[in-house]
Amino acid sequence: MDTTRMNRRRALKLMGAAGAGTLLAACGFPAFAGRSSPGRVAIVGGGFGGATAAKYIKRFAPSVDVMLVEPRERFYTCPFTNLYLGGMRDFESLGHDYRELRDRYGVRVIHAMAEDVDVPGRRLILAGGETVSWDRLILSPGIDFRWGELEGYDRAASEKAPHAWKAGSQTHLLRRQLEEMEDGGTFILVAPDDPFRCPPGPYERVSMVANYFKNHKPRSKVLLLDAKDNFSKQGLFMEGWRENYGDMIEWVGRSGDGRVIRVDADALEVETEFGEIHRASVLNVVPPQKAGFIADRAGVADESGWVPVNPRTFESRQVNGVYVIGDATQAAPMPKSGFVANTQAKVTARAVIADLAGDAPPEPHWVNTCYSVIAPDWGITVAGVYEVHDGELREVPGSGGVSPMDASPDFRRREARFAEAWYAAIAEDTWGTRPAV
Amino acid sequence: MKSYGGKTCGSRKARILGLSGCVAFACVIVAALASSGPEVSEDGDLLAERAEVIAQSCAACHGTGGRLDTAIPSLAGQPAAVLSAQLLAFKRDQMPGATVMPRLARGYSDEELEAVANYFASLTPDADE
Amino acid sequence: MDLPRHFSRGILTAAAGFALLVLGAPSWVNAQGRAAWERIDAATELLDGATPRAGSIRLDLPAVTQDGSSVPVTVEVDHPMNPDDHVEALYLFAAGNPSPEVAEIHFTPLAGKARITTRIRLDGSQTVVALARTNRGEWLAGQRDVRVTVSGCLSQGNSSDNSDFMQARVRPPSRMAPGEPGEVRTLINHPMETGLRKNPDGSLIPERIIEEFRAELDGEKLLAARFHRAVSANPYLLFFVAPGRHGELALRWEEGEGAGESATATASIPD
Ligand SMILES: Cc1cc2nc3c(=O)[nH]c(=O)nc-3n(C[C@H](O)[C@H](O)[C@H](O)COP(=O)(O)OP(=O)(O)OC[C@H]3O[C@@H](n4cnc5c(N)ncnc54)[C@H](O)[C@@H]3O)c2cc1C
Repeated sequence: MDTTRMNRRRALKLMGAAGAGTLLAACGFPAFAGRSSPGRVAIVGGGFGGATAAKYIKRFAPSVDVMLVEPRERFYTCPFTNLYLGGMRDFESLGHDYRELRDRYGVRVIHAMAEDVDVPGRRLILAGGETVSWDRLILSPGIDFRWGELEGYDRAASEKAPHAWKAGSQTHLLRRQLEEMEDGGTFILVAPDDPFRCPPGPYERVSMVANYFKNHKPRSKVLLLDAKDNFSKQGLFMEGWRENYGDMIEWVGRSGDGRVIRVDADALEVETEFGEIHRASVLNVVPPQKAGFIADRAGVADESGWVPVNPRTFESRQVNGVYVIGDATQAAPMPKSGFVANTQAKVTARAVIADLAGDAPPEPHWVNTCYSVIAPDWGITVAGVYEVHDGELREVPGSGGVSPMDASPDFRRREARFAEAWYAAIAEDTWGTRPAV
Repeated sequence: MKSYGGKTCGSRKARILGLSGCVAFACVIVAALASSGPEVSEDGDLLAERAEVIAQSCAACHGTGGRLDTAIPSLAGQPAAVLSAQLLAFKRDQMPGATVMPRLARGYSDEELEAVANYFASLTPDADE
Repeated sequence: MDLPRHFSRGILTAAAGFALLVLGAPSWVNAQGRAAWERIDAATELLDGATPRAGSIRLDLPAVTQDGSSVPVTVEVDHPMNPDDHVEALYLFAAGNPSPEVAEIHFTPLAGKARITTRIRLDGSQTVVALARTNRGEWLAGQRDVRVTVSGCLSQGNSSDNSDFMQARVRPPSRMAPGEPGEVRTLINHPMETGLRKNPDGSLIPERIIEEFRAELDGEKLLAARFHRAVSANPYLLFFVAPGRHGELALRWEEGEGAGESATATASIPD
């Protein structure tokens, strides 16, 4: 295991930075020396946030007992499902299991749904009625949909007009509908207002659908009806759409009457705020969202539906001892991305270990890089470095930003290659999955 | 705070870290005997800790411990001088064709970038063990 | 209660004091112990010595937003809307903007409820303040804090597309519950140039805004609004019409000096 902050600090004091690495390596770190555990951390959700937290707590402090509760035995990532829809990626390559976390890092994985949280009793109640006790709890449940908030769009409607905003059967349904659509049809994507999972996601989605159409159904159209007037990497997306797909993709923002207020999933029709009716051949609705329901059960979500957190540690502002990371949190200006969930998990892993030891948490620090793939040789990025300033999260001044406009084809091609490399790395860092070579 | 009630001879912290107290103690002795470098100040100590916190974010693209070698290069065990020269060049926009790294490197002081370079240089390039 | 009067009052005061200690100061009082409107000159001028009743206007804004150029806000005054007693005017301020006036809305009882939704520009994290005056001269107030975070995630698109300039849109009430006021949505495509923005060549883009908006129902005054430059581009206004009304809605947006645009729609609101 790598050295951790506490033993490294002690070692550094004694021997100076240069010698630290080798000496400690020579000394060796037994994986599990303590007989008794300093405490148990239960984690709900084995996605980007939860799996990373489990792995890093065990890397930093192997004697902490880590229980990961996640119903699925194989997790399929939302990242790159757009590439699957675009015909650039095989679905199975997006699946990851928990073997590495279990066998290599000693995480105890329980495949079950957590139904409730007994905060005073410090217990999770699982779907089968079993309980898991904890000294500290980490929730990374991702999102749930606000069914019905957009008139006409409930769970049943999503079987006809998929959201495909969680990876799995919805993704397959959308893919099947695209395949069955006749050339010359119209794909409509309905994009929600902020905040929602993956701000560039809807725009990458229409890019990849256009890529599929370009290769298989070139007379088809893509219409993006948006509840917003501004969106992530807007200039870059629009440039990429023009260059790669001509006028195949049309975007209508809120003030152009793009905001959808009613969905008729049977008729595949949507109605906008000022009364225009649009008819789709394939209708993809990204509905309004909130934190996964377990956040509500734990009493950590506020009236916005999301979870306010202490910015230094991501401990809930409302319930002590319960930490929340990933999409479920109010962490603006950090976006709701897998990358962010992964870096939040590591900061919180350290904070939870420090908390168990009665120590102060280290100064936190987070990063985000969101790759979006517009076409096979056309990638773009937005990046940010984040810190706590005056008790609030902020982007470090002068850092971050988006790829340049009017960059060379080579630049765009390299960002597309790096997107694939990023995917391999974050899968390895989160679930320990080795990339197929 | 709950009581852990363990029987190992190390400090509570050492136990959390999975060090048996005895091994930790032996380590300390070896380290102390071998110590020849300058005293590291409290500042240097904090900087080293900060470097680890910063470096853990790099893993999302470079793999855990910076050990994954793809189109994005691995970092573990690279010479510190090379890494720090590259990071500083990113920050100063002196790396022609660079994509996302300049935007990230601008989020750090020169000292932080050097400390991160030292940190990755100190890791073994092989397995995360 | 057979407790002596002064005694029970003492307990109540003590209890109130305790509640303040526990809950902290009420949200309309800032750290210096002053309500936000007291720090806005334009607001104190309006009030002219009157003390508004706090907490009677509800402002609905996101607690955190990443796009200060267009922050949705809903304001609802908790007050009757009958001919004898109704809200006459609603004033909206952004305490932290260089010029805090945002908009003022004049209602008639025909509106059925004193509630609007619009989109505003906020120059950083701050307190949004609303004041309302009733026809009886009573003042009401409300306020809400909003945090505006800067994020590199939003790169503005090249929105110099002027093709729909001055296009007016109106959505008359539809699908309503009987007895409820009907909702009217309006929007006009207009840049709302603040006069503070620069062209690429460095020259200032002159100020150009929609200053006024008026709505009538069959020639009867329903609502009038005055917009300042803190109203977002493409001014959006959602308001209400009282139940049991049928008729022709006539809307008018004006830039000043007569230039403007009109629109009509038919409204029929069940009793
Ligand atoms: C189309 C699309 C494309 C995207 N592309 C990118 C991208 O390119 N890059 C990027 O960084 N991000 C991307 N994202 C965003 C990314 O998917 C999310 O930000 C990320 O998954 C958030 O991680 P999380 O841990 O919060 O939630 P998740 O990864 O969703 O994990 C939550 C887990 O919790 C489990 N769970 C929920 N409730 C319970 C419970 N009660 N008990 C037990 N388990 C529970 C769920 O089964 C799930 O496995 C994309 C998203 C979409 C929709």
